[in-house]
Amino acid sequence: MNFRQSLISAHHNYLVNQMLTPGFILGVLDALDDFWLLADVVLPDEKAPYLSGRFYDRRGGLILHLQGKEILENPGNCLIQSSAEDFRLVYPSGEEFLALHTEIFTNGYMSRIQGKLYDRMGSLRMEPSFGSAKVFGDAQWAIPAPARFQNKASFLSFPSDFSP
Amino acid sequence: MRKAEQSKPTKGVWVFGDYRNYFQNRVTLQLISKGKELAGKLGTDLTVLVLGYQVHQYVMEYVAHGADVIMAVDHPVLKNYQVETYSRLVAELVKAWAPHIFLAGATAFGREFFPRLAKRLKTGLSADCVSLDVNVEEGWLIQTTPSFGGHLLADVITPKSRPQMATVHPGMFAERLHDKSAVGRIIYPDIKVEADERVQLVRSKPEQVSRGELENAPVVVVGGRGMGSGENFQMLFELARHLGGEVGATRPAVTEGWVGEERLLGQTGRSVKPRLLITFGTSGALQYTTGIQGAETIIAVNRDPNAPIFKISDLGLVGDGRSILRLLIETLRKRL
Repeated sequence: MNFRQSLISAHHNYLVNQMLTPGFILGVLDALDDFWLLADVVLPDEKAPYLSGRFYDRRGGLILHLQGKEILENPGNCLIQSSAEDFRLVYPSGEEFLALHTEIFTNGYMSRIQGKLYDRMGSLRMEPSFGSAKVFGDAQWAIPAPARFQNKASFLSFPSDFSP
Repeated sequence: MRKAEQSKPTKGVWVFGDYRNYFQNRVTLQLISKGKELAGKLGTDLTVLVLGYQVHQYVMEYVAHGADVIMAVDHPVLKNYQVETYSRLVAELVKAWAPHIFLAGATAFGREFFPRLAKRLKTGLSADCVSLDVNVEEGWLIQTTPSFGGHLLADVITPKSRPQMATVHPGMFAERLHDKSAVGRIIYPDIKVEADERVQLVRSKPEQVSRGELENAPVVVVGGRGMGSGENFQMLFELARHLGGEVGATRPAVTEGWVGEERLLGQTGRSVKPRLLITFGTSGALQYTTGIQGAETIIAVNRDPNAPIFKISDLGLVGDGRSILRLLIETLRKRL
């Protein structure tokens, strides 16, 4: 029987590709010349999810470089809209290109990611799917520890033998 | 996407994740705790199998309480439990992954579902176990269950068939503390989910006593056959009201129709852990006392000085339960 697999945190998970994961990376983290997205691990004493990334429009033009809550580059004049449970990145027109909705459980949190993201070649890397998102291309699934605090090499150690 | 292979010998301890009334019905968490202990002895993982729709919260809870692996089948068809659909899917998963041991709570759900599953898998099942252990050398699950009308405890093994299956009475094991720093693995099997068209859910009706009211009551007043009649049994409700508690019953009182099945305590009913439990006209059969052994203080009233209930009670009153009950109520009425 075929199966998909991931890690799962007791505290906070992202729902993407119809799977839970404590954190994941699309593309190459911190690349300065192409798309990447980090949905980082949320520590037990934290309540809000953490997103960073470099985002492009469908023509391959850079529109936003975000690091947590800090905007590093914003040639697309994009806006951040956030509340206790929602975090949205929108074009000046108001059209949303990435959204994060966090559901608060009795003892934990889950964030649904939705959006339509492209890389610098204009290739689709994420699209909405069944209340969350479906992603395409290179990805590092299920990072067990926060990437924002670590050396890149140390957190990409997903166990190779995952046969049940 | 990887492929699960049927391997011999079997491996892993599985627990069926029954998350209905999750925050009151803790038997799955109790089984996770025990299953993890058994898995540790066998040098394997504890997997919790969860079927349903939008079950994210529950699978996270199971990880927080000690699950090493979650196997989740999340599909709209599984939103409402249907025994045929569940049995078919779980049987397929068991055949593919070949767990060594598979446990479920002896809830109304587990009692309906697990025997059907065992039959599909052509393996044995010990029902309403009160204790579990493993013989590590042989890999046997030692399943301790009341037998011969509850007068004896029998150790049962399943030497040949796999998985070794058991349902376990709620309240037998302590759950592990919630650990929000815990991380586990989650597996999503690629299994075809189709509803059984022979059975359709028309409507559902909540129980008269919601789960939790009885289980969480600080005081529980219980009546048995010795109450004599439905009218006498109603006095228990007044006593419970005065004491801020709930009413439970033994099987004979339910069979007589004095009270509904939802208040049944014991092996085939609910388990309670009140600070104070007062039991009137109950002999103390094992089927009943397995459901009250978590009570901090037990006061028993029975006419028979040799009734087994006195062996487990902290305070025993030999006398007519109905008379003592009337006196108690009258005293409390005057005080309040």
